[in-house]
Amino acid sequence: MRVDFLLIFCVALCVASFGRSASSVPQDPFLGISPEDESFYKTSLDTINCKDGSKKFNKSQLNDDFCDCLDGTDEPGTSACPTGKFYCRNIGHFPQTLFSSRVNDGICDCCDGSDEYDGEVKCLNTCWEAGKAARDKLKKKIATYQEGVTLRKQGIEQTRMAMAKDEAELKKLKNEEKILNGLIQQLKEHKELIEKAQEKERLQKEKEKKQAEEALRKESEPEEAKVETGVAEQKVDSGVKSTESTLDNLIGTVDNDPSDEDLKLVSEDNVAAKVENRDTSEIEGSPRNRHALENMEESASAGHKDDSAVVPETGSDARSGVVPDDVKKMGNDLSENTEELSGEELGRLVASRWTGENTEKRDDVKDNSHECHEDTLKQIHDGEYDGYAPDTGDDTSKYDDTGKYDDTEDDTDEEDNHDDPSSSYKSVDDIDLSDTSITTLSNPTWLGKIQQTVRNILQAVNLFRTPVNISDAADVHKEYDESSTKLSKIQSRISTLTKKLKQDFGPEKEFYSFYDHCFESKQNKYVYKVCPYKQASQVEGHATTRLGYWEKFEDSYRVMMFSNGDRCWNGPDRSLKIKLRCGLKNEIADVDEPSRCEYVALLSTPALCTEDKLKELQDKLDMMNKQHQKHDEL
Amino acid sequence: MKISILIFLLFLAIQTVLSWKKEEFRNCNQTPFCKRARSRKPGSCNLIAQDVTISHGELTAKLLPKIPQGQDQDQAKPLILSISVYQNGIMRLKIDEDASPKKRFEVSDVIISEFESKKLWLQRVSDERSDGDADLSSVVFLSDGYEAVLRHDPFEVYVRGEQGNRRIVSLNSNGLFDFEQLRDKKEGEDWEESFRGHTDTRPYGPQSVSFDVSFYGSDFVYGIPEHATSFALKPTRGPGVEESEPYRLFNLDVFEYIHDSPFGLYGSIPFMVSHGKSGKSSGFFWLNAAEMQIDVLASGWDAEPQISMPTSQSRIDTFWMSEAGIVDVFFFVGPGPKDVIRQYTSVTGTPSMPQLFATAYHQCRWNYRDEEDVENVDLKFDENDIPYDVLWLDIEHTDGKRYFTWDKLLFPHPEEMQRKLAAKGRHMVTIVDPHIKRDESFSLHKEATQKGYYVKDASGKDFDGWCWPGSSSYPDMVNPEIRTWWGEKFFYENYVGSTPSLYIWNDMNEPSVFNGPEVTMPRDALHLGTVESRELHNAYGYYFHMATADGLVKREDGKDRPFVLSRAFFAGSQRYGAVWTGDNTADWDQLRVSVSMILTLGLTAVTFSGADVGGFFGNPEPELLVRWYQLGAYYPFFRAHAHQDTKRREPWLFGQRNMELIRDAIRGRYMWLPYFYTLFREANVSGVPVVRPLWMEFPTDEATFSNDEAFMVGNSLLVQGVYTERAKYASVYLPGKESWYDIRTGTAYEGGTTHKLEVSEDSIPAFQRAGTILPRKDRFRRSSTQMVHDPYTLVIALNSSQTAEGELYLDDGKSFDFKQGAYIQRHFVFSNGQLTSSNIVPTRGESSFSTDCIIERIILLGHLPGPKIALIEPGNQKAEIEMGPLRLGEHAGPAAVTIRKPGVRIADDWTIKIL
Repeated sequence: MRVDFLLIFCVALCVASFGRSASSVPQDPFLGISPEDESFYKTSLDTINCKDGSKKFNKSQLNDDFCDCLDGTDEPGTSACPTGKFYCRNIGHFPQTLFSSRVNDGICDCCDGSDEYDGEVKCLNTCWEAGKAARDKLKKKIATYQEGVTLRKQGIEQTRMAMAKDEAELKKLKNEEKILNGLIQQLKEHKELIEKAQEKERLQKEKEKKQAEEALRKESEPEEAKVETGVAEQKVDSGVKSTESTLDNLIGTVDNDPSDEDLKLVSEDNVAAKVENRDTSEIEGSPRNRHALENMEESASAGHKDDSAVVPETGSDARSGVVPDDVKKMGNDLSENTEELSGEELGRLVASRWTGENTEKRDDVKDNSHECHEDTLKQIHDGEYDGYAPDTGDDTSKYDDTGKYDDTEDDTDEEDNHDDPSSSYKSVDDIDLSDTSITTLSNPTWLGKIQQTVRNILQAVNLFRTPVNISDAADVHKEYDESSTKLSKIQSRISTLTKKLKQDFGPEKEFYSFYDHCFESKQNKYVYKVCPYKQASQVEGHATTRLGYWEKFEDSYRVMMFSNGDRCWNGPDRSLKIKLRCGLKNEIADVDEPSRCEYVALLSTPALCTEDKLKELQDKLDMMNKQHQKHDEL
Repeated sequence: MKISILIFLLFLAIQTVLSWKKEEFRNCNQTPFCKRARSRKPGSCNLIAQDVTISHGELTAKLLPKIPQGQDQDQAKPLILSISVYQNGIMRLKIDEDASPKKRFEVSDVIISEFESKKLWLQRVSDERSDGDADLSSVVFLSDGYEAVLRHDPFEVYVRGEQGNRRIVSLNSNGLFDFEQLRDKKEGEDWEESFRGHTDTRPYGPQSVSFDVSFYGSDFVYGIPEHATSFALKPTRGPGVEESEPYRLFNLDVFEYIHDSPFGLYGSIPFMVSHGKSGKSSGFFWLNAAEMQIDVLASGWDAEPQISMPTSQSRIDTFWMSEAGIVDVFFFVGPGPKDVIRQYTSVTGTPSMPQLFATAYHQCRWNYRDEEDVENVDLKFDENDIPYDVLWLDIEHTDGKRYFTWDKLLFPHPEEMQRKLAAKGRHMVTIVDPHIKRDESFSLHKEATQKGYYVKDASGKDFDGWCWPGSSSYPDMVNPEIRTWWGEKFFYENYVGSTPSLYIWNDMNEPSVFNGPEVTMPRDALHLGTVESRELHNAYGYYFHMATADGLVKREDGKDRPFVLSRAFFAGSQRYGAVWTGDNTADWDQLRVSVSMILTLGLTAVTFSGADVGGFFGNPEPELLVRWYQLGAYYPFFRAHAHQDTKRREPWLFGQRNMELIRDAIRGRYMWLPYFYTLFREANVSGVPVVRPLWMEFPTDEATFSNDEAFMVGNSLLVQGVYTERAKYASVYLPGKESWYDIRTGTAYEGGTTHKLEVSEDSIPAFQRAGTILPRKDRFRRSSTQMVHDPYTLVIALNSSQTAEGELYLDDGKSFDFKQGAYIQRHFVFSNGQLTSSNIVPTRGESSFSTDCIIERIILLGHLPGPKIALIEPGNQKAEIEMGPLRLGEHAGPAAVTIRKPGVRIADDWTIKIL
């Protein structure tokens, strides 16, 4: 096909050198007119109106290569009117409507060659071959749609059942919530009475406790003061703090996050540091301790070098004060301290202004062409670990504005469901909840048991006896706590279900099954993970970049939008636009980044195989076949 | 949450990074030669001219310090002065050391070889004594009515006209001349200079040259690009001047330059033009490629003039300082603005004739990522019926920034890709920068190393600097042998994957060195073995541009005009291709300043210039982008470009309406291509720029002198940009006595007054001058290539005496055959109700060019409706006259008198008479 085209072009060039016929007026006065329009032009009147009503023209002015109607009515077959359209019949293939700018421009646009008639080029009629290829393609597509329509129907049927199940569950849970709430209210009242009775004792205890705490705080104050003194110290210090206060978090991070070796090392170092701290009984400045801290720093900065490790999680106060290393570098060194840099560092630094590349030395310059991209990802990635680590408490309220992401933040990246051959898998979001406790919780006999127990306890407690019977009080407390926990689990499940059922699943709920599924696609070194209604990310090795959070469907459910992803260095927040098309499997393909940090991808899914579209395609094929027959008859 | 904090911090840090780093560049005070020169007092020059004589057709003299009687003068080394004169009112003055320990650098390959043949052999010198002068002045003939004068004591050189009554340009009238002669280092003297950790060894010590130049009868001075500043140069010193920096000429890669600063940018042309109320212009050019600083002195700058000026004419004083080199200066007497440019281009050459495609629209971005991207962008232009001619590939298309290579993953089939574009008549441009990756496996680097072709550092080793590829070296382009070698790299067999439709973009050729002082090469780096970078810095990019362009010519055996875009430039760059104004920013101020910058470039002969449409950095609002396209469509070089971090901004990405507006702007350019091409030829012949300041066409109209928001395209179109958001009105000053016709509506506006016009988003104001005839092509194609056979429209804008005239130049658009006469140049005259087309070229040259193109429509603006028939001779044919749209398509204007289908051939002689 391409060869043909080149050949034709060559012919065009050769012909062109022979000069041009003086006139570009077509032989057929009705050239370029579509069949629907023929009656409009083939009138018995002498004049024809311009379609926009602006004026009228003589029949002799039709296709006379001079533009009389601004809308191009009088020149369907020439290039004289810039707004004109040229219709080529392309018998044997689809008819085509061209911009008039393509007429006699030396390039064969219509497969029947009718757009080039001024003798500059000779266009071969390729409609026969092209039409056959197109028909075959269309047939294939129709076959896909036919199968897809069935799959889609099945899917919708399954959805109906799944939805009904979810709705039923929700209803039941809400009922249970109500009962449980009542019980808890009773328990609470009792609990409060008991507590009142115990108040005096407790007050005394608290006083003692407070005094003890104050003594403790005094000891730790000097250390905090040091935090203010210098960034370097602070860093070390916050490192210590993090090891002490967020050991669990760090471990959590490692577990939750598929992070690379460096990260693990850092975390292990931190753990080690903590252990050592304990061992040395907090002796400040002990060689071992310092060594550990140095190690920590080293590994952290080594991490910076390849952009994948993590600065240890810091306490909230330290966090606001700590300026990350690279930021400092850009802020200060670039403007002030370039004299201290080596030639290469300076070169990278200055280059980074244009590219936003990381300025640290890297050995692998070969990858330059992709570097910027990677670096951006990585740079953001640095920050990301902080986000992944569970909150340490105080900041939740501080940063409420970003709280809307809270519920999605924890439910990422568990990779246990990878065995699905179609590269889609159930997302982890609700699995835990529906798996264990809730299931048992939902058991009505179990609820009955609780009711019974509460009744028993409440009867047993004598509220007017002082001192309060400790074991009775403990029973109430225990039962209250347990029930509360169970209630909160139920409520959590209710909220999850409610949230799910609130989503927009399409006119026929055909996207219902997407809610609990993620789709994966591997492209070169990246794995793209798309979880509809939740989020999408790009994973390279152990580094994850969020491409966006679920936003909505667009373009009549033909496009899924994910937005507000990780911010690009010197660019926008990442976003991902997924175009949906009919396919027999749910499959992500062709992830692309046409504009910086704005990704697009294709998702084939039976959900898009609608009967309407199938019918449209079949009609088109029928029409082609008819044309084809006509061609045969000719 | 924590992400956001970190990102916020990062963002803050970035914000501080992303702006012009003023402190990274030397100001005058940090530049010892500039500081020394600026602190000098007027009248401090004590040189007098001695031994004045004529030899070898030149006036020569020795300059020696005036020593009070009794003192010994033997110690002083004289300077040698020579004055030579050339045809058409050009005086050249050279001053150099008599015998210096090291020959000072004279910039080679800038003055065209033809210039020497225009030298007038001086034979006579006459002496005269000016009032109050103790000593004589020597006077030589310059041209009819003009003389060059050397005043002996105090030493001063000037040109004068009108039989000696009018001074034009003078040198050293304020006695600021100083020439630091090369000498041996004194004991204990330290010549090293240091700036921000970079040490300049300065082995030859101080060698700067500085002097004052005065322009007489002038109200404004212009020129000396490249600065992002107003077109009329604001004073830099003197009463009421806040900005204390001189205009700096030092080619630099400036990150995010600001829109109003005398700061030096990517190129340097030490050529200044003055203009005044009398309508007269003059010019001054200093052929010197070292760092230069130029002060424009405000009137009254010298509070207590130490010397009495020998003339009472109004004048503008300027002060020129250079770090090295010699005095090799040219005085241009004018008297008209176009004469000055003709004179200047007779020294440095006229702009080369571009290929037709290069004058059309260019689509660029850092980066079109891969072949698929290229194909899609190309397809989208077609889907939206937007014409474009050239698709550009930035640095990422290479294999690891090794120029002349392709990224094998992203561009596996470069030839096929180019052929696909070529099949639609389109071209491709790839980037080739001067920094060569220091990579042993890169054959270009290996070869350059083995041949010793790289610039050396102060210690004599290959200079190693940092740029896109990392560690890089830079070929020594000053050397003609190396330029030839470089040029051959563009041969198809050497540049694998290149095809005949591929042309070149030279970026970073200041040269940009990321880890060098002021992001460029150290001044003590060595060229040609002994020449320091400080002596030729501003010309490095010029030589690189030259080498590339010459290579492309040789690639096709001298048959194909080259296209090379360069960022750095110097005097003479007009001979090698286009330049653009570098890394601008997407904001309204930069849109505005682009006009000043392009006018300045045009005035200094680099007419094929443009600014990145849309702004390189940042994301333009759709309105700004549309306005930029509307203005950019009139830039001589019309290219959209964007930084890799910006959002995609191809014309169709901003909704249907904005796409249509942008398409309409681009189509406007294609419509005027025959006119632009004619203007490029005019520039090629005379140096007169395609885009001109209003005063070039209306030299005595003072209201135009500082207008840099409007400009002329040729002598017939006036364009006014819209530089503010949501503008409802634009104030447009229309010069001259005749009317102007709105090119969209045909409405006539009176000349000589400012009009407050309503503006819509559809277009920016543009007017055709009454009394002109413009050629158009009204059919829009995929690219200019397909328009070659399309018919013409002529638009006749009648003046008050119902006459008009215009020209059309055309040739094959590609080859050099036009140099042998293979072109058509028509002259159209309308008078007495009759349009006549005649041939401007009286005789046919060695070869000829022909075309069958016809004229399909003739529009008459300012003609009363009524006539129905036109008579065409020869042939006694008749054509109908009707009321037709001024412009076709969606934006058709009101109807104008139109001759329908005259059908005459553009190449023929004919007359059309309105009956």
